[in-house]
Amino acid sequence: MNRTRAILSKAAWSVFTILFVIILNFFLFRVLPGDPARAGIRDPRLKKEAIEVLQVRFGLDKPVINCFESLNPIKFGSCNVNPLETQFFIYVGNLLQGELGISYHTNRPVGEILSERLWNTVLLIGAGQVLAILIGVALGIFAAWKARTSVDYGAIALSLFAWSLPTFWLGIILLFWGSANGFPLAGKATPGMSSMPPLQQWGDILWHMFLPTLTYTIVYMGEYTLIMRSSLMDVLSEDYILTAKAKGLSMFQILKDHALKNAMLPLVTVIAINLGFTVAGAIQIEAVFSWPGLGSAIYEAVVRRDYPVLQGAFLLIAVAVIAANLLADLTYTYLDPRVQVE
Amino acid sequence: MQTTLKPSEPTNLISARLLGFWRVFKKNRGGLIGFVMLVSIVFVAIFAPAIAPYDETSASTTTISDIYQPPSAAHWFGTDDAGQDVFSNFVYGARVSLTVGFFAAFISIFIGGLFGLVAGFFGGRWETFLMRFTDIMLVIPDLPLMVVIVALTRPSLLNIIFVIGLLGWTTTARVVRSQTLAVKSRKFVLRARAIGAGKGHIVSRHILPLVMPILVVQAVLVISLAILNESALSFIGLGDPTTLSWGQMLNYAFGRGAMSTGAWWALVAPGFGIVWVVLSLTLLGQGLEQVLNPRLDTHHLMPNKPTVHVDAQPPKTKSLLEVQNLSIDYVTEGKLPAHAVENVSFTLREGELLGLVGESGCGKTTLMLSLLRLLPAAGQIVNGHVFFKGQDLTALSEEELNKIRWSGVSIVFQGAMNALNPVRTVGDQIAEAILRHMPDFPKDQIPARVTELLDLVGIAADHKDHFPHQYSGGMRQRAMIAMALACNPQVIIADEPTTALDVMIQAQILELLDGLRRKLGLAIIFVTHDLGVVAEMCDTVLVMYGGVTAEYAEVDVIYNDPRHPYTQELLKAFPDLTKPKKKLSSIPGYPPRLDALPPGCRFAPRCPLAFERCQTESPRLHVIGADGHVASCHLIEASK
Amino acid sequence: MSTEHLLEVQGLKKYFEAGRPALFSRDTRHVYAVDGVDFNLQRSEVIALVGESGCGKSTLALLLMGLEDPTGGKVTFEGRDITHLNDHQRKDLRRKIQMVFQDPYESLNPTQTIEEIVTEPLTVHGIAPHKAERDERVKKALEDAGLKPADVYLGRYPHELSGGQRQRVVIAAALVLEPEIILADEPVSMLDVSIRAEVINLLAELRITRQIAVIFITHDLGSVGFFADRVAVMYLGRIVEIGTMLEVLESPQHPYTKALISVIPVPNPRLRHERIILQGETPNPINVPSGCRFHPRCPVAMDACKASDPPMITLSKTHQAACLLLVK
Repeated sequence: MNRTRAILSKAAWSVFTILFVIILNFFLFRVLPGDPARAGIRDPRLKKEAIEVLQVRFGLDKPVINCFESLNPIKFGSCNVNPLETQFFIYVGNLLQGELGISYHTNRPVGEILSERLWNTVLLIGAGQVLAILIGVALGIFAAWKARTSVDYGAIALSLFAWSLPTFWLGIILLFWGSANGFPLAGKATPGMSSMPPLQQWGDILWHMFLPTLTYTIVYMGEYTLIMRSSLMDVLSEDYILTAKAKGLSMFQILKDHALKNAMLPLVTVIAINLGFTVAGAIQIEAVFSWPGLGSAIYEAVVRRDYPVLQGAFLLIAVAVIAANLLADLTYTYLDPRVQVE
Repeated sequence: MQTTLKPSEPTNLISARLLGFWRVFKKNRGGLIGFVMLVSIVFVAIFAPAIAPYDETSASTTTISDIYQPPSAAHWFGTDDAGQDVFSNFVYGARVSLTVGFFAAFISIFIGGLFGLVAGFFGGRWETFLMRFTDIMLVIPDLPLMVVIVALTRPSLLNIIFVIGLLGWTTTARVVRSQTLAVKSRKFVLRARAIGAGKGHIVSRHILPLVMPILVVQAVLVISLAILNESALSFIGLGDPTTLSWGQMLNYAFGRGAMSTGAWWALVAPGFGIVWVVLSLTLLGQGLEQVLNPRLDTHHLMPNKPTVHVDAQPPKTKSLLEVQNLSIDYVTEGKLPAHAVENVSFTLREGELLGLVGESGCGKTTLMLSLLRLLPAAGQIVNGHVFFKGQDLTALSEEELNKIRWSGVSIVFQGAMNALNPVRTVGDQIAEAILRHMPDFPKDQIPARVTELLDLVGIAADHKDHFPHQYSGGMRQRAMIAMALACNPQVIIADEPTTALDVMIQAQILELLDGLRRKLGLAIIFVTHDLGVVAEMCDTVLVMYGGVTAEYAEVDVIYNDPRHPYTQELLKAFPDLTKPKKKLSSIPGYPPRLDALPPGCRFAPRCPLAFERCQTESPRLHVIGADGHVASCHLIEASK
Repeated sequence: MSTEHLLEVQGLKKYFEAGRPALFSRDTRHVYAVDGVDFNLQRSEVIALVGESGCGKSTLALLLMGLEDPTGGKVTFEGRDITHLNDHQRKDLRRKIQMVFQDPYESLNPTQTIEEIVTEPLTVHGIAPHKAERDERVKKALEDAGLKPADVYLGRYPHELSGGQRQRVVIAAALVLEPEIILADEPVSMLDVSIRAEVINLLAELRITRQIAVIFITHDLGSVGFFADRVAVMYLGRIVEIGTMLEVLESPQHPYTKALISVIPVPNPRLRHERIILQGETPNPINVPSGCRFHPRCPVAMDACKASDPPMITLSKTHQAACLLLVK
């Protein structure tokens, strides 16, 4: 079956992309000059023994990668060492066991820190995306239906404006407004809430989520509106819509049975491509609202120069986006009967 | 031979093209606003020293009382956390943000354009490699990667430009590749190869000119993304500490107490700058896109202009379908209405096959769509009536008309690929019509009925659950006919159902329609530009020219005693295998444009027999003989 | 005799790979687009290649133009083998063989003026380097193609012209190189009937005024009767019948030709006639039927047709057809 083949090839491709990210992540942190572990070692005031202790602690005494002379004539890396004892293999081995290193700042395992935060980010992005898609699609449908009326022009203008807003700035403005109107300023929960019944705890979280989610929704809604509008305009000017009209179907039936599914297809592709951008939004929003997610982990790691956390967070985000992208791709394959191979 | 064209003036091509572009662009309101907004902020950036009231680096004479001063005459936008003038910083910040945006975008566009062009044009391994790489880079989230790289290197302006530029090319590469592929597959590129042109010539003369517009639009969008990315990086704390971009200003203000002191001015001004630039670029990009790649921006569900009702007359005959003096205009804002169809009348008896013949653009499709009021939004019925079984369709409400559509009169459109919904099975689309118009039809009988209908047009039952793309061209047209038969209509309108099909398939479809007519007693209106097709099976023929009836008669009369010069000329242009070696003649010139109709007879400019009167006065329809033969030509009156 | 032919095609084949039937299958399937075509062309002769879509006529055109590489067979031009040429030789040859495409709306670059379009072949080949000479040739080509006076058209863009005029521009761009053969691939099928004759008459004139040979590819037998010297009918990658125009149109021998001729519309209701309507459609050239490739649709097929592939039977000096019924 062609469809099975398409799905297999997409899944294989995602695995390959994840491998690429792992390698990229490793080398970025080894090759670029900023890591204080190595920068510190170069400090001339340190004694030789101290340097060695540090090197052993960060695993820097091992060669970066090995080289097989037969495969690699330019002799990149250290030759003739046990490949299992290179930094790269240790890194990959640790990854496989879920170990992402120790935070410089808190001395806690990075994996532990990030796993607490991952679900907060998923919660924020999930809620924001769902709302942005729902509102954006609804507005897009309405604009296309009422094409070239003031409703349509208004929706387009609003969407273009929303699209042009820097995410963090909208967050700041909403926070400014929210602080004057009794909204919580930071975090995910009011301190001391953990002793309350679960329903109240959730209510508290939703209350804290309100402003970050609102920011997220506004920023991403505009693009979905514009795409849905233009996609629906394209579909509604197709000949088969005229056929449907000639068949005597009502306006509502035509929209529901002939236009929406077809018009949603491009949107699914866009959602897939956009996943990378949505993470960008999450970093900014979490930084503004101190929402304890992966984004604020990145923000704090940058401020504190906490590189293991930065490295881990990047890896986790990239893998999550790749997986979500695969999911969107597969949805498309499922929705469009025309998908054959590639 | 063409007298309407004037000799072209020798002009500088490039400036002429730019001028032509500007003429269209300036009508695009959004694009123009964006352009003016962008020019204004670039102006501010360039003349920053002259505009800013305070020097870039002056920390004035900072005392505690200078910090977070509200807006005043001395400081229009107040002061910031360092006691500096926010307005001056805003003006200088424009320089930084725009510099980063333009340079980073330049890098992105260069890489993306190159990758896209190479992958699209050369294909093969290059394409596989470049596009796979692009796909990987597209999936990896941008901003986190930028954060990692800038954090690991020194956050200088140059680093930031390079990082944003080197990571922002992926969408450009994809867009350019698909445009290159599209241009490359066009026939003029094949023709250039056939001429003997090499790869370099083809890329520079044929591919690039058509990829460039897309690249310009893309560049505008990439600049805005780069500016947004720069501000986000700066806000996170990875801005160049030696310069003050808008993002950097927000970072300082947000991080140093503007929120708690309520100093909104320090937060609003820089954000406003970013919004201004990004919005201007977005508007400009949208405007450029609309000008370079114009879309009609209309669709089939938009409401029509209301039908103009004139003195309701009863039908004159007892025909199944009677069309009386139907006139249709296309009304576009700011333009004179185009008279697409004027005063066309005809009748259709039960079981009759009427051929509607005319060149493309003569209004025949418009006329057919208007019978069921399916005109595009700009189309308006301005005169006349359509009686179906004595009921005036032009006077019905949309709901009443919906009951007659398909169950009384159905349509087979040309190009069945587009007339069938690609994501629903053919059987499902046929069943839909039955469900809609025959509510009493037993639900469990519907699949059997669909099979029966498909069988009637010669499609095997196992194709019922296939999608249209799994059908061949001929089968799709058959499926369309099966769908048209679904609700037992009395009239089928077939709008060029065989155009673009092979001769043999065309013959199959014609035979099918003719057979169905005899078997089911259908009346058919067959629209075509091919006189030969019509001769084979029609009872009556209506020849249209430029939106009016040229001649209307029984089929034998049209072919053996045509009275309108247009009919006569059309027949001479048609190859007749019974008279081989006869030289074909063609009608010089081309049909009139509907928005620029000649003042007199619409055929006069191409008519070999035209005389003075034809240039000024349009002929009326003259009755010739008893059996309904009519033609619109001044010569007929003269010969009487 | 063979050296006298302007163009000679022998056993020309083109197979495209059509991917594997299954994911892990080893053998690839082939599309037998052109599967052994022979014919020749004399100086200033018009030959019509007729067939339905999928018969391989467009691939044949690309092969003759050297825009695709043949899988097998041989093409000779003026006695020289031109089947496989390097880029340089190919470019030289292009001056001699020019092509006119089906869709005049697509085959002109919308960003070029008519002058640029017609001048381009000269620039590409470095002919007439002086502007005055070049302009003169361009104008002459335009006027020979019926666009008179040429000055009116030079500065215009394709979208300002009608379909017939655009096709004349394409022909002018071919004429400017003074070719010996024009290969016209369905040049009128996109045009309205009323202006088709315009383009056909122009091509017919050129073979007389400029001694140009024309290969006219079409799906419509009806449109070729008036100026073709010979007609070749193609089915599924092969020529099934070839003969002079009168031989093929008035006494067709292959059942496919007979059917094709019977469905040509006759513009006279008094001459309504019996038509032979073939059932089904041309099979996919991936699965070429055994024996005679026409047998599944043939109204007069015999058992023997399933097994043996009929050879070309010579019926007269000029007339040949491939059908077992003709074997005596």
